[in-house]
Amino acid sequence: MTAATRLQLFSALTIAVCFADALSAAEVRAKADVTCQPTGISLQYDCSIRLTQARTGVPLTDVTVMVGADMPSMPMMHNVRPMKATAGRESGSYEIRLDLEMTGDWAVRLDLTGEVRDRVVKVLRFEQDRVGPTPAKAPSQNKH
Amino acid sequence: MDDYLIGVLSNIGVISFLALSAYLLLLTGEISFGQQAFFAIGAYAAGIATALWGWSLAAALVWGAATGAAAAVLVGVPTLRLHGLYFAIATLAFAEMVRLLFELFRYQIPIDGELVGPNGVDGFGNIRYIFENDIGPLQFLLLIYGLLAAALAGFMVLERSRLGVIFRMIGEDEVLAEMHGVAVARHKVLAAGIAGAIAGVGGGLYAHLTTYVEPRIFDVMLGVHSLAYGLIGGLGTAFGPLLGVLIDIGVLESIRAFAGYRMIIFGGLVAILLIFRPRGLLDEFVVHQIGRAWRRVWDLVLRSARQPAASGG
Repeated sequence: MTAATRLQLFSALTIAVCFADALSAAEVRAKADVTCQPTGISLQYDCSIRLTQARTGVPLTDVTVMVGADMPSMPMMHNVRPMKATAGRESGSYEIRLDLEMTGDWAVRLDLTGEVRDRVVKVLRFEQDRVGPTPAKAPSQNKH
Repeated sequence: MDDYLIGVLSNIGVISFLALSAYLLLLTGEISFGQQAFFAIGAYAAGIATALWGWSLAAALVWGAATGAAAAVLVGVPTLRLHGLYFAIATLAFAEMVRLLFELFRYQIPIDGELVGPNGVDGFGNIRYIFENDIGPLQFLLLIYGLLAAALAGFMVLERSRLGVIFRMIGEDEVLAEMHGVAVARHKVLAAGIAGAIAGVGGGLYAHLTTYVEPRIFDVMLGVHSLAYGLIGGLGTAFGPLLGVLIDIGVLESIRAFAGYRMIIFGGLVAILLIFRPRGLLDEFVVHQIGRAWRRVWDLVLRSARQPAASGG
C-alpha cells in the first residue's frame, strides 16, 4: 500500500465518521450581550456577559462559558487564550477579565458548553480608556 | 484532548489548505498574493449554504470549492499571461477587490428573530452548522485533517504524474516547456483552478470552525502568510507548506510571552531563515536526501526480515 493510498484511506474514514455522526439539530440558540470596561491596568478589561435563549429571552444559567478573543485583521496571529468566565450575581450573567495584546478591534468569542452548546462572537473596539461597539464604517471610509 | 490544543490544531489544519493553494501556484512559477480571495469566497459561499440555505456541510464545502475554483479560473484566464511582479500585483489587486466587494455585500434573512447572513463590514456571524448538528471540536478536527490528508494524497499522486511534471517544468522554464509542446496557458489556468478549489475548501472549513467571518480577515496579511508558508517550509514537497504553517502558528503560540511583539519577532525569524535557506527548509535537495535515507532504512528492514527466515529454512 503506497503512502498516497494510506492517506486516501485515512481521509475517507475520518470524513465518513464525521458526516455520519451529525446528530439532530440543537434547539437552543444563545444570544449574548457583552460589555467591557478598562480596569485601569494597561490592556486589561473587565467584561460582563449576559446570556439568554435567542428565541425566548430566558437567561442561560447552567453553562460553562469559555471566553477567547481574536483580532479580525490578523486572524490566528493575535489572540487571547480562552479562559473560563465566572457566574455573576444575576441569572444568566458571567464575568471575565480580558488581558489583550494591544488596543483595536477584537472579536470576543464565547464558547458555551453544558445545557447549551453554542458559540457567540461579538466584535468590540477596545481603546485605552473605553470599550464600545465597532463604529459602523462606510466601505469607502475603510480604504484610507 | 484539551479544547485549546484542538483549537490550535484546527487552525493549523485549516490554514494548511491556503498554504497548499499558494504552493501549487509556486510550483508553476507564479507568486500569488491573492489566494486569500478564494479562501474568502469559499468561506462566504459555504457559510451562506449552511446558515441561510440549510445545506449539509458536505454540499457546502463542495460549493465553496466550486466557487473558489470558478473565481480562480475567471481571474486566471486574463492574469496568467502576466509574469513575475506583474502577476503578483494583479493577484494582490484582485484580492483587495474581492475584500472590498464583501464590504458591500449584504444578504441577510431572519432566523430566530435575528438577521443572519453577510452584512458588509459588520461581517457574517451565526454560521452554526457544527453546533446545530452537534459536531464536536474533536470530530471537526478529524474532518479537517481527513480532508487535508485527501488533499495531500492528491498532491502525492500529482507529483508522480505527468501533470505534476508539467507543472514543475512550467515553473522551471516556461519557454522551454512551450518548446516541448506543453500548452502552458491551459496548464497554468488548470493549476489556478485547482489552487482556487483547495483555498475554497479551506475557507469553508474556516467559516464553520470560527462561525464568524468578515472582510478584514481576508486582507493582504493573510495572503503574505499563505505565500510565506511555502517559502519557509520548502518547495520540494507538499509537506513543505504544512511545515511552514506549523512553524508559523507553532512559533506564534510558543512566544506568546512577547504579546504584541510576536509578529515582529516572527518576521525576523522568517527573514533569517530565508537568507540561509532560500528555497525553504524542505527544498528539493533535502527531500531527495530524506527519500534516499528512507529507502536505505526500508531496505535494511526488509533484509533483516528476510535473514531469520532464510537461516530458519
